[in-house]
Amino acid sequence: MSLWAALAGGFVGTLVLTTALRAANALNLTRIDLPFLLGTVLTSDRNRAKALGYGIHFVNGQIFALVYYAVFAAIGYSSWWLGTVFGLVHGLFAATALVSILLPLVHPRMGTPQTSAPDVALLEPPGFLMLNYGTGTPTVTLAAHLVYGAIVGGFSAWPG
Amino acid sequence: MTATPPGRGRTPPEPNGRRPQRTGPDGGTAVRPARVDGYAELRDYAVVGDGRSAALIALDGSVDWLAWPDLDSPTLFAAVLDHARGGRFTLRPDVPHTAARRYLPGTNVLETTFTTADGTVRLTDALTLPDASLSPSRELVRRVEGLAGSVPMRWSVQPRFGYGARAPRPAHRAGVPVATSGTDAVAVRAWDAGRPRCTADSVTARFRAEAGTRALIALSYAHQEPLVLPARAECEARLDRTVATWRRWADGRTYAGPWREAVLRSALALKLLVFAPSGAVAAAATCSLPEGIGGERNWDYRFSWIRDSVFTLDAFLGLGCAQEATGYFWWLMHASQLTHPRLRVLYRLDGGARAPERTLPLSGYRGSAPVRVGNAAAEQLQLDTYGELLQTAWLNATAGGRFDADIARRLAETADFVCGLWRRPDAGIWEVRSAPEHFTQSKMMCWVALDRALDLARRRLIPGRHEARWRRERQAVAAFVDTRCFSPRLNSYVRSTDSDDLDAGLLLGLLHGYRPPGDPRTRGTVDAVQRLLRNGPYVSRYLGSDGLPGDEGAFLACSFWLAEALARCGRADEAVRLMEQLIALANDVGLYSEEIDPATGAFLGNLPQGLTHLALISAARAVGEAVR
Repeated sequence: MSLWAALAGGFVGTLVLTTALRAANALNLTRIDLPFLLGTVLTSDRNRAKALGYGIHFVNGQIFALVYYAVFAAIGYSSWWLGTVFGLVHGLFAATALVSILLPLVHPRMGTPQTSAPDVALLEPPGFLMLNYGTGTPTVTLAAHLVYGAIVGGFSAWPG
Repeated sequence: MTATPPGRGRTPPEPNGRRPQRTGPDGGTAVRPARVDGYAELRDYAVVGDGRSAALIALDGSVDWLAWPDLDSPTLFAAVLDHARGGRFTLRPDVPHTAARRYLPGTNVLETTFTTADGTVRLTDALTLPDASLSPSRELVRRVEGLAGSVPMRWSVQPRFGYGARAPRPAHRAGVPVATSGTDAVAVRAWDAGRPRCTADSVTARFRAEAGTRALIALSYAHQEPLVLPARAECEARLDRTVATWRRWADGRTYAGPWREAVLRSALALKLLVFAPSGAVAAAATCSLPEGIGGERNWDYRFSWIRDSVFTLDAFLGLGCAQEATGYFWWLMHASQLTHPRLRVLYRLDGGARAPERTLPLSGYRGSAPVRVGNAAAEQLQLDTYGELLQTAWLNATAGGRFDADIARRLAETADFVCGLWRRPDAGIWEVRSAPEHFTQSKMMCWVALDRALDLARRRLIPGRHEARWRRERQAVAAFVDTRCFSPRLNSYVRSTDSDDLDAGLLLGLLHGYRPPGDPRTRGTVDAVQRLLRNGPYVSRYLGSDGLPGDEGAFLACSFWLAEALARCGRADEAVRLMEQLIALANDVGLYSEEIDPATGAFLGNLPQGLTHLALISAARAVGEAVR
């Protein structure tokens, strides 16, 4: 088991996850755009937000890879399939709490169900299971996180 | 329940739909509230809201419409659609009375003054805005102040969740009357407003409003969470802060042209239709208020129409509502992403594209059935939407907005899509349910779409790789419209190809720049609309068939479009005269519905109607410029 391998897995996993979500955008399956959602925490300039968002997204990918690695190390085992299980939990957490509930609470430009006049949200809230961004969003997000988990788990199992 | 039994004490309407009035204690006009078969005149409704939901309150103090938690949620009160089953919150003197009302200046907080032989009472209504304290998820606050004498008051909350489908039996919990249904709950808090009594389906009380005293009743609502039961001081403070917040917002509006009061009230009404959590703008706050009494033209307008986008963005920009303009444009581009390059006619307030239509088992306003929720027009093809979208994007760009690469690409692809689409027949701007036709206004807006795309490409704001094709197709659209959609006999563009029918929607194509104001065909069309569709201040949408039985009233937005067209054609005096007539058609608190019955002046259709208020704002600005 290797920390550096886990970090490498986090990078590759995030790359694949981001690409999968972008492809889902292009196929009109979902409107979710994680780099955009993250970047607009810092700026309302759409172009700058996307650039910043990609940076934040990859940092997050590394942080989650470290969390995965910590659990792998604690139980003394890692593999691609265990990583997939982690990805499932990670994806469900993202869909039901992290992006749906926690992000709107800290995001200065995103609406919440409590946003009222005279304020106006610049970004619509994701809603339960992020369904506001399209009915395909939970499926696409979950699938992307399963792949991310499998990659991080597989890389982490690399002999250190 | 009627404030005054039909036929007794009811004052007959004047020809303009208003009852004889006298000056009230606060300078408003006092009239005796009246109902016909349990229904108030639509003209008698004012609206309060909080940017998430809205309530209709009749002149007699009855809250007859309230959808919680959101504007497009099922209702808690819908007596306006079924006085027996819909549910309502009545609050009024228990003796004969007159009522005068107004909005507190610069706010969406309603003040109704009841005058009786025993004294005078002031009622202040608001959907409060949350503050730093632990606020209920949604809250309606009603403050009753005794101004003079001693007035017996009576109130009753009759909650009916789910469009009247569920009438739970209220019960006291920790001394507070609460009604629950599924994951929804509403608590009735009352202070100095009598002893609330829970009956089989309502919470009621009586009390006396003595001069110098103040009572408060608050509805606290929760959806998928525990109820918050605020203290009286918190409710009082929240109501006062709500007034102050609205005033600050109104003070920030920049309009200084003619009819400022009407424009400001329209801005405030429009603000109530802005769904704050997403930035979307609903077409109206209600569903299925009829376009003809007893008819079936009853639609759900709690969606955001692409059709309204140009006027919406233009109004926001013109009134100094930069935040609302940006929020709306972002929402528009996000909502339309999933269906790209195809546009839906309308989108849900949360950005969703599906709006399945169904009918409810309600009797409808004065028997106007069916009562529909959802809107099947969402599935229609309306070519004008593409012009509206590109024009809206163009407005955003000319106001300094910039597109990111994704949006710029999508706008260019939309123009490409129009090139292949414009030859198809469609349902037109009025969403007719008859067979698709080649509607002239739809084609004009396709021309606008391509014209704006070319301009955006020239400014290097969108990719211009297909400029040559856009130019070619724009020319083809113009050739089609000018040969197939113009009647030399009428000297006017006509409703659809090779017809002699007229359509007030043509004004919209011209206002969006299909032809310049000085063009003979523009002038001819404006003249023809005046000649054939105008009756006094009223303008009909069209005279041809639309696939539905029954008649409708005059469409108020068309009257404002005509005023704007007259102003742009240099006929400022005529435009001013028409505007003066139209401004006088508002109800006592400055609101408009969608349509009006030219014979009686009665309001028809959903209200407050965003498009009417948007058209008023646009026309006032245009006429103001023409006069200058």
